[in-house]
Amino acid sequence: MSFSFPFVREAVSQLFSKPSTERFPFVPKEAPERYRGRIIFHADRCINCGMCIRVCSPGAITKTVEKTEEGDKVTMSFDLTSCTFCETCADFCSKDSIEMSRDYAMVAQDSSELIVTGTFIKKPPVKKAVPPKPAPAEEAPAAPEASAAPEAPAPEDSAAPAPAPEEPAGAGPEAPKEA
Amino acid sequence: MFKKLVNRSTAKSPWIYHINAGSCNGCDIELVAVLTPRYDAERFGFKLAGTPRHADIVVVTGPVTAQSKDRLIRTLEQVPEPRVIVSLGSCPKSGNVFKGGYSIEGPLEKYVHVDVTVAGCAPKPEAVIAGLAQAAQLLKQKREAMKK
Repeated sequence: MSFSFPFVREAVSQLFSKPSTERFPFVPKEAPERYRGRIIFHADRCINCGMCIRVCSPGAITKTVEKTEEGDKVTMSFDLTSCTFCETCADFCSKDSIEMSRDYAMVAQDSSELIVTGTFIKKPPVKKAVPPKPAPAEEAPAAPEASAAPEAPAPEDSAAPAPAPEEPAGAGPEAPKEA
Repeated sequence: MFKKLVNRSTAKSPWIYHINAGSCNGCDIELVAVLTPRYDAERFGFKLAGTPRHADIVVVTGPVTAQSKDRLIRTLEQVPEPRVIVSLGSCPKSGNVFKGGYSIEGPLEKYVHVDVTVAGCAPKPEAVIAGLAQAAQLLKQKREAMKK
């Protein structure tokens, strides 16, 4: 039988198989792992270094700074209608404050729903006595960085000795390239 | 009575018309993928119309370029009311990475009111379906508002 009708088996199996159409709205579908969807901004981790703004090719990230008594009130806003979802901002964020979620359903009638914002208050650095010996060594690598990014003295005020050498190393080779 | 029948049948089959206003082809492929058997938007009555005069929903992709601007405006004028304009992807809404380019005359909002925005570069086919579903709902509202 399979000689005379070579496609009978295929035809019968297709009759009883499921359709290849995805039943999307009825069965919710999850995006694959590491899908780059809606941006989640963790404002509590941001140090206002401005690296994401510099690397964003469509210029989707904007920052507004408002002076208050407690310090600078910084608002970062990510315009998802302008975003390319390249994840470069998240890659360059040294504090991991930008995260790409797997939420792909970015549909809105009002485009203000597609803007992700986060506000935090950045306190001015507390001036304290610096030991005389390590001070010039600390200052030297920080100097070219300060001219490139005005937010550079951030690691000093956080008073954490560990991340301080990390940041000039990351931004150091970047600065001469720009100049 | 005949009109009533037409109204009832058009409500369940919003035909879409696709305008490429200088897109990179990414969003266009996703929109076509939505109409293929795998995602099959024709389950919900969405059908690609051959002419803007048959369309209910207009899907625009791409940052409006200088070459496509006049053609876009001319095409949009031919779409009968009620119509819903969907901007697909980041480009029509903002220009994306092309914004500020010498040949970019966008965003689309300058020329026509955008009803539904689907963000993504390019949006997932599921997001496109969600956007079209919202557009169909909006179309229904607009049609009812026109009846009164």
